[in-house]
Amino acid sequence: MTDVVARRGYHGPSTDEAIDAIHNELDSLWDDASFVPDMDRMTFATAVIEAAANIVQHALPVAEKPVEIDVDISVRPARLVARVSAHNAREPFADDMQASMPDSEAESGRGLALIEALVTTVTFERQDGTNTWILTRET
Amino acid sequence: MQFSYEVKDSYAEVKSVGRLNMVAAPKLREVVAEVVAAGSSRVVVNLAETDFMDSSGLGALIGCLKAARQAGGDLRIAAVQPQVKMVLELTNMDRVLTAYATAEDAFGDD
Repeated sequence: MTDVVARRGYHGPSTDEAIDAIHNELDSLWDDASFVPDMDRMTFATAVIEAAANIVQHALPVAEKPVEIDVDISVRPARLVARVSAHNAREPFADDMQASMPDSEAESGRGLALIEALVTTVTFERQDGTNTWILTRET
Repeated sequence: MQFSYEVKDSYAEVKSVGRLNMVAAPKLREVVAEVVAAGSSRVVVNLAETDFMDSSGLGALIGCLKAARQAGGDLRIAAVQPQVKMVLELTNMDRVLTAYATAEDAFGDD
């Protein structure tokens, strides 16, 4: 098991408020991991916010219970890892999983392509009504 | 996130302060729509105090650009910070949304 140098998390309803709350957690994460270069902070934080925003905008509940978002962000000696999960969520539509950059006139649809450009690996898991994005960036 | 605007002689300057994310993006669209509807179709979005933009914020800028052009004007961006520059470059939108050093420079050539 790799040593975790710093960790932050968030769990709450999948709403607009979650986005700024997660962003605040990311900002405070670097207080405990000042050795992480600015470029890595910037790219990783952008990818995490894109993944969280994708959930808030697109995740639909599987039953009556509303979708909840859960984020676990950790800094390891040479790697940043984020698990961004949607609980009580349906499986995403194929259209929402589009990872190629749309044309320059498009006003949406760049999120996943941007995530792929920002991090080293992107993994998607679905288990028991939970969709999880695992983003890693080697530093 | 806050937006304010000021109508100058030859353009309107919209100041964006804070994170231009999925929460703020619809507000930017509203403000620019208001500016264009009031007769200013040459719009500069001053991003000096915007240290973060996601793809929703970028989408809003593209929508605002289209709105300004449909009204016979243009939309330009100024004082772009490193994270915003990175998002523009990775999405190849730096060629569509031209960045100027300052709001004054944005329409300085015409």
